[in-house]
Amino acid sequence: MFVLQIATAGLATGSVYALIAMGIVLIYKCSGVVNFAQGAYAMIGAYAAYGLGSLGLSPLPAAVGAVVIVAGAGALTELLVLRRMLKAPVVAVMMVTLGILIFFRAVCLAVWGADPIAFRQIFPPGSVQIAGVFITYNYVAAAALSIVLSLGFLAFYRFTPMGLMQRCAADNSRAALAVGIHVSNQVSVAWAVSSGLAALGGVLLATLNGLSLGLSSIGLVAFPVIVLGGLTSLMGSLVAGLLLGVLEAFTDGLLTPALESWFRAHTSIYSVGALQHVVPYLLVGLMLLVRPQGIFGRRGTERV
Amino acid sequence: MKRHIGRVLLAVALLAAAPALADVNVCIWGTITGPDALVNGMSYGTHDYFQYLNQTKGGIAGQKVNALLLDGRYKLDEELKIYRRCVDQENAVVINGWSTGSAKALREQVQQDAVPFVSETFSSEVLDPVKYPFVFIAGATYEQQMLIGLRAAKAAGAKKVILMHGDNEYGRAPVTVVRKSGEIEKMGLQLLDTIEFRYDAQDLTAQLARVKAANPDIVYIQSSTPQTLVILRDAAKVGLSPKLFIGNMYNISPTIPEQLGPAAEGFRAIQIYANYGDPIPAMKEIEAFKAKNTLAKQDLYYMKGWFKGKVIAAAIESAIKKNGGKAPADIKAFRKSVRDELENVKGLDVGGITPPVTFANHQGPTQARMSEVKGGKYVALGDWVNAQ
Amino acid sequence: MPARPARSRALVLAAVVVAVAACFALNRFGAYLVHSVAIAAIGALALNLLTGFCGQISFAQGALVGIGAYTAGNLGNAGWGLGAILAAGLAGAVASLVIGLPALRLRGLYYAIATLAAQFVIEYLFKIAEPITKGFSGLIVKPLVLFGRTLASDQAYAALAVGVLALTWAALARLMRTNVGRAFLVVRENELVAKGMGIDVARTKMWAFVVSGFVTGVSGALLVFTHRLATPEAFELPLSIDQVAMIIVGGQGIWSGSLLGAAFVVLLPEAIQRVGEAFDIAKLLFAMREMAFGLLIILFLMFEPRGLSALLRRLARWVAGAVSRKAPATASPAAASAEPLGPRATLAAPNTRTQSGGST
Repeated sequence: MFVLQIATAGLATGSVYALIAMGIVLIYKCSGVVNFAQGAYAMIGAYAAYGLGSLGLSPLPAAVGAVVIVAGAGALTELLVLRRMLKAPVVAVMMVTLGILIFFRAVCLAVWGADPIAFRQIFPPGSVQIAGVFITYNYVAAAALSIVLSLGFLAFYRFTPMGLMQRCAADNSRAALAVGIHVSNQVSVAWAVSSGLAALGGVLLATLNGLSLGLSSIGLVAFPVIVLGGLTSLMGSLVAGLLLGVLEAFTDGLLTPALESWFRAHTSIYSVGALQHVVPYLLVGLMLLVRPQGIFGRRGTERV
Repeated sequence: MKRHIGRVLLAVALLAAAPALADVNVCIWGTITGPDALVNGMSYGTHDYFQYLNQTKGGIAGQKVNALLLDGRYKLDEELKIYRRCVDQENAVVINGWSTGSAKALREQVQQDAVPFVSETFSSEVLDPVKYPFVFIAGATYEQQMLIGLRAAKAAGAKKVILMHGDNEYGRAPVTVVRKSGEIEKMGLQLLDTIEFRYDAQDLTAQLARVKAANPDIVYIQSSTPQTLVILRDAAKVGLSPKLFIGNMYNISPTIPEQLGPAAEGFRAIQIYANYGDPIPAMKEIEAFKAKNTLAKQDLYYMKGWFKGKVIAAAIESAIKKNGGKAPADIKAFRKSVRDELENVKGLDVGGITPPVTFANHQGPTQARMSEVKGGKYVALGDWVNAQ
Repeated sequence: MPARPARSRALVLAAVVVAVAACFALNRFGAYLVHSVAIAAIGALALNLLTGFCGQISFAQGALVGIGAYTAGNLGNAGWGLGAILAAGLAGAVASLVIGLPALRLRGLYYAIATLAAQFVIEYLFKIAEPITKGFSGLIVKPLVLFGRTLASDQAYAALAVGVLALTWAALARLMRTNVGRAFLVVRENELVAKGMGIDVARTKMWAFVVSGFVTGVSGALLVFTHRLATPEAFELPLSIDQVAMIIVGGQGIWSGSLLGAAFVVLLPEAIQRVGEAFDIAKLLFAMREMAFGLLIILFLMFEPRGLSALLRRLARWVAGAVSRKAPATASPAAASAEPLGPRATLAAPNTRTQSGGST
C-alpha cells in the first residue's frame, strides 16, 4: 500500500521531469547545445500563466497563452544569442545558457517578487482512492497529461513531415541542407517546441506544487535524467524521467528511513538529509564511468 | 600586477566614500530577495517604525533617525559584508541582523565591536546574556516554541509525535536540541521519527507518505512558510488532515490559508506577535503610517518588525535622555549606553503586539499562544502562555 | 618571472609590499572587500589554470573551497597555524585529483557534468558528516594564529590574502614556463597532438588538477578564518558558478583576468547597491543585481570571450592611439603602461577554447 502510494507520487513527478528533459534532449540533438536554461522556461511558463490569469483569463487559456509566449521567448533566445555562438566551444555555450537562467530568474524576481504565489488550479479539486492508494484529481491529470504529451511528442517526431525534417537536420545537417531543409530554421523550431514543452511542465508543476522562483531548479533535476537516458534519445529521457521520479520517491520513502535507523544505531549521525537530491547524481557519476552515452544513447554522438 | 591591485584599491576607495553623518544611525538587514523573503516584513516593519517616528515625532527625542535597510540575500558572505559596513561606515548605534548563521558567525565580533546586535533568529545558541551581552533576540526560542506546541498537543490527548524540519541550520539545530534534551519523553510523549527534507523542496509527497505510515497523533514542523505550504499541500495529496500539524511562529503567514484553502483548515501555529489588523493600539500607528506611505508587507512579521522598532527606539530614547537630551558624540559610549538601556527595558508597552515586555533576559517576550486556521483566518486559541 | 629584467621584478615585488601594507590603512569595510576580492581571485587563478590553460572545465570549485575550509577550520581550532592553510591546500589537491580522475576518460560536456555531480555529492557530504563539519550548525572557527600572533583584524586578513594572492600568481606564472606548464597548453589545444609530441596527457591533466586543487584549498582556508563559521550553504553550486563567471568575465587563459573577474563579480553587486542608494531606488535595484550578473555572462561570452582583460587592453591601445594622434611626444608612457599585459596574454591561443578536440 505504502509502496504503491509513493510509486504513484514518483510517477507523477517523474512524468514532469521527462517533459522537461525531452526539451533539453531535443535542443541538444538539433544544435548540440546543452541547455541549462530549461528550468527557466518552465518557471517563466508558470509565471506567465499566472500573469495572464490575473489579467482575467481563465486557467486553461492562460496556460495555452503561456506556452505560446514561452515558445516565442525560446525561439527568440535562439535567434538573438545562440545563433551567434555556433562556433563557440560546448562549455562556453553551456555557460551562456546558465547566464540565461540567471537572467530570467532575475526578471521574474523583479516582476513578481520573491514570495511564493498561489497558483490557480486547472483541474477540479477532489480525490479518488484506488486499491488503497489516495490520489488527487490534480495529480492524476498532471501525470496523465505529461505522459500523453511525451508520447504524442515522440509520435510527432517519428511520423510527421515536420518531425522528419527535424530529425534529419539533427542527424546530418549537411545532408539536410542538400535536400533543401533550412537547418537553422529547424533549430529555431526546436527551441520553440522545447521551451513550450518546458512551459507546460512548469504550469503542471505549479498546479502541483505552487508557484515560486524555486521552479527554475527543475532544470538541474532534469540533468541527471538526460545523462541517464542518453543525451540524444527522446525515448530515453521519457524512461529515465519516470525511473528517476520513482527512484527519488523510493529514496524518500524507503531508503532514507532504513539508512537513518542504521546511522542512528551506529553513529552520531541522526539524519541523512536530502538523500533523494544526490542519488540521481551518484547514478550519473556511475553511469558516466560505465556507459557515458546513457541507457539509450548512441556512441560517438558527442559534439566536439 | 600592481596596476590591477591599484585598480582594486581605487574601486574600494570609491565604494568606501563615507556617508553623511546622521544624528542616530540604525542599520537593518534582511532577506529582501532570497529564499526566506516571505517573512521580511520583520525588517520592513522596523525600518518603517523609525520612518514613522521621523514623520510624526521628529525622530527620537527630537533627533532624526537614519534607518538603513539592506539586502543580506540569506547569504553569509553578504551578511558579513553588510555587518562591517554598518559597524564601520554607517556608524550604526544598533544593528538589526537577520540569519541564525550570521548571528553565530558574528557573535564574538559583536562583542569586540561592542555594538548592540538584535537578530531575527530565535536560536538558543546566540542567547546568552553573560557570554554575549551585546546580542539580543526578540521572542521565545525555537526550542521553547516547540515545547509549547507539544505541550498543547499533549494536553489535547496526543501520544505519538513526529518532528519534520528543513535541511538547514534553522531546521536541524532546534530539533536536535529538543530531541537530545529528552523533554519530549519527560512530557509523556513518544517521538516516533524525525524527518528532514530539502529547505527548498517543491514536493514532499513521499515524506508525507512516510508520516502517514507511522501514524502519529501530532506532527510538529520546524520550517519556513514556503515549505510548510508544501507539507500541507502534499499532506492533502496522501490524505492527511491539516489538524495533525503544528508549526512555529514562522508558519502563521496569511499566505497559508490563502493558498491552500480547505487544506489549511485546522492547521495550528505558535503565535508570539499579534496579527496584522488586530484591534490594538499599535495598529492605529500603522494605519496612520500607511495613510502616507506604502507598506511592503502587511502581516504578522511586519508586526514583529514594528515591535522591534518600538523596543530599540525606547532604548535609544533613554540613552539619549541619560546623556542630557542629546545623542552621545562618542559612538562607542552611545552603543554601550544603548545596550545597557535595551537590557533595562522593563514592562514596556508595545501597543498590544505582545504583552508588555522586559528585555533583561535578552529575548523579550517569552509568552506565546496557539493560533488555528479557521475559515481562512488565524484565530487565537486561548490567551498568552508563558514558555518558561 | 624570470624572463623579465631584475628591475621590473623588483618593481613588482615593491608593488606587492606596498599593496600588503596598504591593507592596514583601509577601514574595516574596505579591508573586507579587498579580502573578499583577493580570496575569490585566488580561487579564480586556480580555476583559470585548469580551464583557461589546461582546457578542463569544472563546476566543482565550490566543493573544493569547502574541503579547504573545513580542513583548515578543524586544524586551526586544534591550534595549527600556517600548517592549517597548507593542509587545506593538500586536502584540496587530493580531492581535486579524485574529481579529476574521470577526466582521463571523459571530455568536454561529459566531464563538465561529472564535476557537477561531484559538486552535489560533496555538498551533501558536508551536510551529513556532522562529526567533521558540524552539519548545518556550522563549524565555528577560532581566529588564525600565525607565528605566535593571533590575527584579529580585517586588515590583517586582507593583507594576508593579498600576500597569498601575489605569491600564488607568481608561482603559477612561473609554473607555466616549465615543461609541465607548456604541456598544459598543448593538451588544451589538442590532446591527439599532445600525444603525438610525446606528452603524457593523463599525467599532465593530473598535474593541473593537483595544482589547481591545492590553490583552491588554500583559498578555502583563507575564507574560513575570516568568516569564522563554515556552513554547507556557503559552498554550494552558486559559488562554483560565480568562480566560472569570474574567469569568463575576466578572461580565460590570462592571469590578470582572474583578478579582474573576481573584482568585478564581487564588487558589482555592491556598486549597483550604492548606485541604487544614491538615487533612492535601492529596492528596485535589488533584482537588477542578478539580472546584470546573468546578462554580463551572456554578453561577454558572445562578444568578448577573452573577457575584461582583452577589453581593457583594447581600450588602452585605443587611448594610446588617440593620445599619439594628438601629441606624439606623450604617447610612449601610455603605450608602455599597456605593455605588461602583453606577454601574459599571448599565452592564450587566438581563439580561446575551453574544451579540447577529439571525441570519445
